[in-house]
Amino acid sequence: MNDENFEPRILVFCCNWCSYAGADLAGVSRLQMPSNFRIVRVMCSGRVEPEFVMRALRNGFDGVLILACHIGDCHYIAGNHRTAKRIPLLRKLLDHVGIDSKRVMLDYVSAAEGEKFKTVISGFIDDVRQIGPIRTGLKWGA
Amino acid sequence: MADDKRVDELGKAVKEALDKGEADRVVGLKVDSDGSVRPYLWVKGDDVSALVISPKYPLSTVYRLVHEKHPDMKLGIVARGCDERALVELSKRGNIKLDEIVLIGIACNSDEAQECVCHVPYPTKISAGDKVEGVDTDELLEKIKGMSLEERGEFWSYYFGKCMKCYGCRNSCPLCTCKDCKLEQELFVTPGELPPEYPMFHLLRAFHTVGRCIGCGECEAACPMGIPLTKLYKLLRDDVKEMFGYEAGMDPEAEIPLLTDLTVNPIESGEGGA
Repeated sequence: MNDENFEPRILVFCCNWCSYAGADLAGVSRLQMPSNFRIVRVMCSGRVEPEFVMRALRNGFDGVLILACHIGDCHYIAGNHRTAKRIPLLRKLLDHVGIDSKRVMLDYVSAAEGEKFKTVISGFIDDVRQIGPIRTGLKWGA
Repeated sequence: MADDKRVDELGKAVKEALDKGEADRVVGLKVDSDGSVRPYLWVKGDDVSALVISPKYPLSTVYRLVHEKHPDMKLGIVARGCDERALVELSKRGNIKLDEIVLIGIACNSDEAQECVCHVPYPTKISAGDKVEGVDTDELLEKIKGMSLEERGEFWSYYFGKCMKCYGCRNSCPLCTCKDCKLEQELFVTPGELPPEYPMFHLLRAFHTVGRCIGCGECEAACPMGIPLTKLYKLLRDDVKEMFGYEAGMDPEAEIPLLTDLTVNPIESGEGGA
């Protein structure tokens, strides 16, 4: 399925307190990065229900990235702990039903890590580009 | 017949609990004169010869519903291993109180254990029947584990494509107790669409079994289309066990891993999603 001109569509969930500020910093610092991702700002990465991720994939996003505060830095003390448990399980579930779990990724970006934001985004987009476009309909996934 | 002996023992235990006043009512199965079996609340003075144990039925759900209506009633239950594990998980979620239950345990025989591919086919307290070893070998599960990513995708699309969205898997599940079910929300599952939008319906339900599925097999038994749901849930159960060391229903003291923070249930951190 590796189309030469394939550009993945990526959805990024950023937490309001760390990763979104990190994304802002990356922008303000004028760091060059691919533009084919869209950010949804959530108050905490713990707000990202696995259902949201499934729905994003179902609606045609080729990859979903969840960016949280570093463990210990959560504005709500332990919101990202929940995420740190849920997302790996969701990835296992996707793997069990034959969907490449590399399409969903969790990482930690603080407000000061504009550079890391860029690296993570670029790396993730490259990974998803390798996997190829997501299939929709009953032959969904892979 | 060995089974008759087991039912007799069970009948005696139920009668004893009722006569001694340990329990006001006991949740069990009753066979009617026309041969049909139904869940029944046994009371003192009932003829327990009509008590039966098969077909398997999620009695923990009956217990929960009766308890909801009559919280002060001393309620007993005829419980298999899976029923007891379901009760443990229900108590963790505040639906019932574990120490209030008058448990009349019944051990499954080896045929039943084989049929359910049950790893612990007995409750902690056995009043009838003899403990048999759990079953660990599962041909279909091994086959699924041996598949490639594409093959797994094909396998589950085939089965999920057969779904007629009867909600039987959810309705029969002893741990599905939410008043508002995500499977009924338009945002996630479009109403009136058949087969239900793959994979939202099934993945959503699968994810919701995490940390609660006790492997009773009621979902698969209820499924009119023969979707091997227990296999998928078993894979997730193994994941939860591997990641958090948590086995649903086994330890009443253990905390539900998805509801605690990392100081209680630490996980290995690793690349891409941990």
